[in-house]
Amino acid sequence: MIDKIMSSGLFRWIDDRSNIGSIIREHVTEYPAPRNLNYMWNFGSLAVLVLVLQILTGIFLAMYYKPSAALTYGGYTVAFDSVERIMRDVNFGWLIRYMHAVGASMFFVVVYMHIGRGLYYGSYKDPRELLWIIGVVILLLLQGTAFFGYLLPWGQMSFWGATVITNLFGAIPIAGDFVNQLLRGGFAVDDPTLNRFFSLHYLFPLLVAAIVGGHVHALHVVHSNNPEGIDIDHKKETIAFHPYYTIKDGFGVAVFLLFYCYFVFFEPTAWGYFIEVDNFVPANNLQTPAHIAPVWYLTPWYSILRSFPDKLTGVIAMGASLAILLVLPFLDRSKVRSARYRPMFRQMVIMFFISVVVLGYCGHSAPTETLTLVGRIATAVYFGFFLLLPFVNKFEKHKPLPEGI
Amino acid sequence: MSDQPDVSRRNFLYVIAGGLGGVAAAGAAVPFIGSMMPAADTLAASKTEFDISTVEVGQLVVIAWQGKPVFVVNRTKGMLDRVTGHNDSLKDPNSKAIEAVEAEWMQSEDQRVYRAIKPQYLVLIASCTHLGCIPLFKPSAGRKEWGDSVPSDWVGGWHCPCHGSFYDLSGRVINGSPAPHNLHVMPYKYLSDTTILIG
Repeated sequence: MIDKIMSSGLFRWIDDRSNIGSIIREHVTEYPAPRNLNYMWNFGSLAVLVLVLQILTGIFLAMYYKPSAALTYGGYTVAFDSVERIMRDVNFGWLIRYMHAVGASMFFVVVYMHIGRGLYYGSYKDPRELLWIIGVVILLLLQGTAFFGYLLPWGQMSFWGATVITNLFGAIPIAGDFVNQLLRGGFAVDDPTLNRFFSLHYLFPLLVAAIVGGHVHALHVVHSNNPEGIDIDHKKETIAFHPYYTIKDGFGVAVFLLFYCYFVFFEPTAWGYFIEVDNFVPANNLQTPAHIAPVWYLTPWYSILRSFPDKLTGVIAMGASLAILLVLPFLDRSKVRSARYRPMFRQMVIMFFISVVVLGYCGHSAPTETLTLVGRIATAVYFGFFLLLPFVNKFEKHKPLPEGI
Repeated sequence: MSDQPDVSRRNFLYVIAGGLGGVAAAGAAVPFIGSMMPAADTLAASKTEFDISTVEVGQLVVIAWQGKPVFVVNRTKGMLDRVTGHNDSLKDPNSKAIEAVEAEWMQSEDQRVYRAIKPQYLVLIASCTHLGCIPLFKPSAGRKEWGDSVPSDWVGGWHCPCHGSFYDLSGRVINGSPAPHNLHVMPYKYLSDTTILIG
């Protein structure tokens, strides 16, 4: 099929002038992928799919969304009303908005699985350090994008979430107030904040799309890792990406779409996890909701913030918990990549995954004494993972590596 | 030879799978294209009520319907007299050329000529059928300030300032105008003696 298209006259005319054919062959159809990739390797292409869905649905939502905190005759705001109008009056508006809102959560499901896979199988190690670092930059941009986007409906949780997070930057010594006002465009979250968040919510995905290009390019320079984590023979132990992995990724897409569509059509708010209940109440700058929590995908880091009684320390710890991912490739001194052959590392990384889930649960719940304690223990485990990494290979005896895959 | 792949069967499956994928993609495009159509509240704003008793005899007012300008003229007896008698100079005296110049309420010949339910009140879409400018109301001949913009035998009507189309006092286009059709009419009805519902 693809051969037929690529040998057509029109394709050859374009190819002679752009060299597109060899780009497609090198990066898609004949890209040599390890023959033993398991289903954990599906999440990269799924992330690209969700990125495309988010950009597409976002473009259509922006045709109707109005970023203004001006009051309407109904006593609400232009932004809140425009979202409600999308839900009630715009043709298929409910569908496109729920695709976008559910898509945001799905993006993080997919990206966290993708990152977890990279951690477990040591995909961040030499020679893939830069590939990993680019990925962490994408994660940070995505979290920023999600945060900006969550303000746009101008509901109670939008407003108070943005208030809390912009206040975090106020904790920075000396420059705090300046940064705070720079983000808000005023002394409180208000109309100027909404306008600049809308602008940035449109800008960041474009940056993400560009950097994803760099991520894929870096991947194709150093080639894919594999579940065994060993260097492979690029002639004998690889198979062409097409048709083998296009079909396998396609199957993953079908399974993902079932999951995605279930939430879009049957549980778009996911019981308050994807869209929090309080966000159906219009923003009120004179009344804070009883319990403020970010959406689930930001709760682990919010929980780290809350684990420290001092505001500045909390902010620094939260920043460090993300920034430390950037230096992860240099903390891990072991030459063995895959956790399959590193018994101690395997237990550490599993503890790390559990700590993130526990942190997420604590961050989503109202703080109690017990949960604060649990959150602090999980925070210790989170940082402990990174602090132990440079030393673990001194004690660890790795299992014998296989000759090939 | 039985271990050779059956190529025609494989190609058939390719076409079927690709075709179904295409159908799915087209289906997924429906909500996106559909969302660009007028929203429910935009459609709900597509009807306009207007009290025509507020228009003085001989006066023209412009109101908005679906965001488009609409002329409402309270024609004097003299104006109504000048609607007839110049059929030879009209492109479409009985408003039959296209659907947009006709309306369901045009039952009698008189209503086709006067282009109104009640001859006195003319309600028309105020867009020149040439390129959409709003024509100027020039109801009688001999106003000096109009200069040469209207011909010497002007019976009254509209003159489009953009490209010089002429319409008579029933909004019918006069021969020699670049505009192809009479000014369009729209569905409307009388809710009471003085209130009309446009749309």
